[in-house]
Amino acid sequence: MARRTKKAKKPLTEQVKRKNRLLVLLILSALVAAALLARVAYIQFVMGEELRKSAYRQQNNGRILSPTRGNIYDRTGNELAVSVAVDNVTVSPVVIKNTSNDPAEIAEKLSQMLGFKVEDILRLLVKDSEFEIIARKIDRVKGDEIRKWIDNDHISGVYVVSDTKRYYPNNELAAHILGFTGADNQGLFGIEAAMESYLKGMPGKVITEVDKNGTELPFAVKTEIKADDGLNLVLTIDRNLQRIAEEVLAKGVEENKAAGGGTAIIADSRTGEILAMASYPSYNLNEPRINPVGYEASEWDGYSEEATDLLSKTRWRNESLSKTYEPGSTFKAVIAAMALEMGVVDLDDIVDDYPVEVQGHTIYCWAKQYPHGEETFREAIYNSCNPVFVKVSQDIGIDRFYEYVDLFGFMDKTGIEIPGEENSLFHSEPMEIDMAVASFGQRFTITPLQLVSAYNALANGGYLMKPYLVKEIIDDEGNIIERFEPEVVRQVISEETSDLIREVLEGVVSEGTGKNAFVPGYRVAGKTGTSETTEEDVYTASFCGFAPADNPLITVLVILDDPRGDSVYGGVIAAPLMGEIVEKSLEYLQVPRKGDEDYYEVQALVPDITGYTMAEAVSALKDSNLEYVIRGDANGEDVAVVYQNPTAGELVSEKSVIYLYKNLPEEKPFVSMPDLRNMTIGEVKNALAGLGLNIRIDGSGICTGQEYSSGTKIEQGTVVEVKFRYLDTVQ
Amino acid sequence: MKSKRQIRPVDFYIFIFTMILVAIGLVMVFSASTPAAKNQFNDIYHYLKQQLLAFGIGFAAMVTASFIDYKIYRKAAFYIFGAAFILICLVLIPGIGTVYNNARRWITIGGFDLQPSEIYKFAIIVLFARLLTEDKIKLEKLFKGYLPFLGLLGISAFLLIMEPHLSGTIIVMLIGIVLLFAGGAKLWHLAVTIVFGGAGLAAVSYYIEYMWTRVVTWLDPFAYAQGEGYQVVQSLYAIGSGGLLGQGAGKSMQKFLYIPEPQNDFIFAILAEELGFLGVAVVIILFFLLLYRGVKAAADCPDKFGGLLATGITSLIFIQAVLNIAVVTGSVPATGISLPFFSAGGTGLVMFMGEIGILLNISRNKGKEEIPK
Repeated sequence: MARRTKKAKKPLTEQVKRKNRLLVLLILSALVAAALLARVAYIQFVMGEELRKSAYRQQNNGRILSPTRGNIYDRTGNELAVSVAVDNVTVSPVVIKNTSNDPAEIAEKLSQMLGFKVEDILRLLVKDSEFEIIARKIDRVKGDEIRKWIDNDHISGVYVVSDTKRYYPNNELAAHILGFTGADNQGLFGIEAAMESYLKGMPGKVITEVDKNGTELPFAVKTEIKADDGLNLVLTIDRNLQRIAEEVLAKGVEENKAAGGGTAIIADSRTGEILAMASYPSYNLNEPRINPVGYEASEWDGYSEEATDLLSKTRWRNESLSKTYEPGSTFKAVIAAMALEMGVVDLDDIVDDYPVEVQGHTIYCWAKQYPHGEETFREAIYNSCNPVFVKVSQDIGIDRFYEYVDLFGFMDKTGIEIPGEENSLFHSEPMEIDMAVASFGQRFTITPLQLVSAYNALANGGYLMKPYLVKEIIDDEGNIIERFEPEVVRQVISEETSDLIREVLEGVVSEGTGKNAFVPGYRVAGKTGTSETTEEDVYTASFCGFAPADNPLITVLVILDDPRGDSVYGGVIAAPLMGEIVEKSLEYLQVPRKGDEDYYEVQALVPDITGYTMAEAVSALKDSNLEYVIRGDANGEDVAVVYQNPTAGELVSEKSVIYLYKNLPEEKPFVSMPDLRNMTIGEVKNALAGLGLNIRIDGSGICTGQEYSSGTKIEQGTVVEVKFRYLDTVQ
Repeated sequence: MKSKRQIRPVDFYIFIFTMILVAIGLVMVFSASTPAAKNQFNDIYHYLKQQLLAFGIGFAAMVTASFIDYKIYRKAAFYIFGAAFILICLVLIPGIGTVYNNARRWITIGGFDLQPSEIYKFAIIVLFARLLTEDKIKLEKLFKGYLPFLGLLGISAFLLIMEPHLSGTIIVMLIGIVLLFAGGAKLWHLAVTIVFGGAGLAAVSYYIEYMWTRVVTWLDPFAYAQGEGYQVVQSLYAIGSGGLLGQGAGKSMQKFLYIPEPQNDFIFAILAEELGFLGVAVVIILFFLLLYRGVKAAADCPDKFGGLLATGITSLIFIQAVLNIAVVTGSVPATGISLPFFSAGGTGLVMFMGEIGILLNISRNKGKEEIPK
């Protein structure tokens, strides 16, 4: 029994012992298994969020879908800036490496299609990177060609991505207003920069699942967020008025050799809308970084920092608001308005322009040798007498004087949309002499736009309007998203004072120093300005005014900076430019001319009468209000005109004489051009008529220039352009 | 009828758990390997075909082994170990051993890559089970019993380290310890061994640069995400993306070349990504249940050799699974180790299924009285 127990017990003990140890192992294993499960739970539920995001980032390749930048239109709907579809060519060198395509072959093919050097392309293709740009903004036609090749030859790793490029259909028109965009279609200057948030749109995105090499997965989940295209702008600018301003300004700057260029602004007098704003020199918006005059294209890198700096200071600069100047006598209109508003003087009060002494400085009238003496305040404005304004400003008082300057908006930026507006500069604690000099517009600086704003207030009943350039924001269907209404900053002067100023500034043009701005049939009001800058012998000639004087529609300012031609005076060189802008603008705006018909030349187009019988020719000329002289010795009913001078299509004054020839003269009748200088219009008309020459009159006053120099032989009947200016009105 | 020798039933659970694990494993190999297979061989079925072939062989091996009386291994123990020992020596000889990923671990025979260390793992189990059931060997004795076993483990470790095959070394060591424990070694012997072994491993890790790098990387894998820590970080991305229910079978993103060879050592990460925490739980629980049934078979086997053999096989599978999951989840420093029944690789699957066959055979002896000698 004992033996059996012992026998049975021994193996049992062995197996039990083993069983116990196995139980220990089992428990340990259960703990380990539970720990691992806990670890996985920790990774999935605690670290999970973070890990999922990181994984998503590496697993998904986001491709940006560029929005199309909004267009910019002028107020009549003409395109000023548009976006055209172009393509970018990019490659993924990593993908190319993993495919059977030979990079050298790809480079060769791309170089053929793009016209780039093979080596340059190949260098990018073999880089150890995932993304390289081969070509930016190529024509869609070329891009499609590459697309076709990629499809046909099953090329992987080369991509054509659509993009847009800014195009300015009018090249340099309104360059300083519009500004241009950078490589990423971002606005850099002007309206393009100012209205970036509207124009830009929202980029979309295509998110695609990719493997580690960046290759799209088969059946990849693609998430596409469509790009939201930019909104379109309608500007207050009128393309035609802008062109008028630019052409007249360019002509004025060139004729008067204005070394510092010039500025011309046309604004709506009633609303503050800017209708045109031109600076000279200008530039082509489609090639903003091209080498300027005086720089070799081969040595010019328009993208360099120095080049950008230089261009920003020169042709890119919008002189209407980024440059300040001394307004000179144009400022007197503002002083007159304050004085009349405060009642310190009336237009018919007698004043005098005898020299006045302020803090030891004696101020004379510009006509120092022959002062105008006693005159009415109205006449003093016509004559632009400095001492009168000094005295008037003293009556206003220094505090009120600067308070009004501030009320007219000269102390603040106008708040126009485009960036870069310069601060005006006045004496911080002005003394009597500072005010005295300021009364005729010297020794402080303002922007041209500030003066236009102030003149708008003078013209429109006293309301200072915030100048603005953006009229509406519209979507692609033309629905108005936002409309910008005229904004009254404040009323500066009363309607009555405004009435008086309109009347007296019209007098300046019709009778005073502004005669050269006179436009027959249109009532132009304005004031001349000539200021000597702080640099010696450097002048600024300007003219600011509005028209029609009885109901002003447009305010116009023309500035010529540092003229080096025959004259430096605003009344001589800037006034006619202002007059021309007014005339062309009002004609374009279809404002009918009134009265004063004697003054202006009615023009006629010379008809083509060559080949007509004499009777027919004469009747045609009579219909056109033209005179004629018949030359030649053929007789008979059916004798025809074989030659005429002036030729068909030329624009001449009514009553001009057309020379008709029955047969070709062996020698055309030539006359010698006389010297017309200093003659009046009447004298010139007589002198030219006597020689059988026709006249085209530019301006009025006395003759200051003629198309052909004296002694030139010219054919009878030729139209000679003669320039007349009032020279007694030098301020 | 009665006279006819009755074949006792196998433990059906062991068979079922194994087959479920193998089935999930095959699906995962296919899912995880498609991008790599497409990329390398332009045939998404490449790895699946290989694995199915290995499965066929492995299944045959399992069924066969389940009918072969396990006692045969006791008799053949020294031959089996001798052969395996020769193989792990041979594999170290350049020209015979094939180098892959800087390790000389494979012998290529007829296009089939044989991994001697996989065989060696089995051989050491058989050897230990045999030696521990030798009456002459008294395990309680330190010098005549315990230390010679440690000596055997030491030699094995040396040879495996030469390949190098760090994970193989660790597994052989752990199995050795488990068998000594189950075989009745004195607890203080084992305790001292574990303390010194652990300290020794720590010291060695510190002085061998590549091992130390792995420790440092393990502590903060994200700091080395583009270098040493890349695999673990990518693995964590995959597991983390899984969440509770996973991305769905076949929907892993991380298998798209982010995790290198996702069908191999890191297949568990893809499983976690596609099947989520639930899938992970099912697999870990299945491994534990398999362990449980294996240990139960060991406990129920009246024969000590059978018990130790079952213990060895069961713990081999479980230890390797645990170590693999620990590496993949960044719980221990990284080392190359495959997941039993899952990772692509012929030797492994055939060996493990064959071993399960042996286990099944042992399980037939449940409740048998041990025949007294």
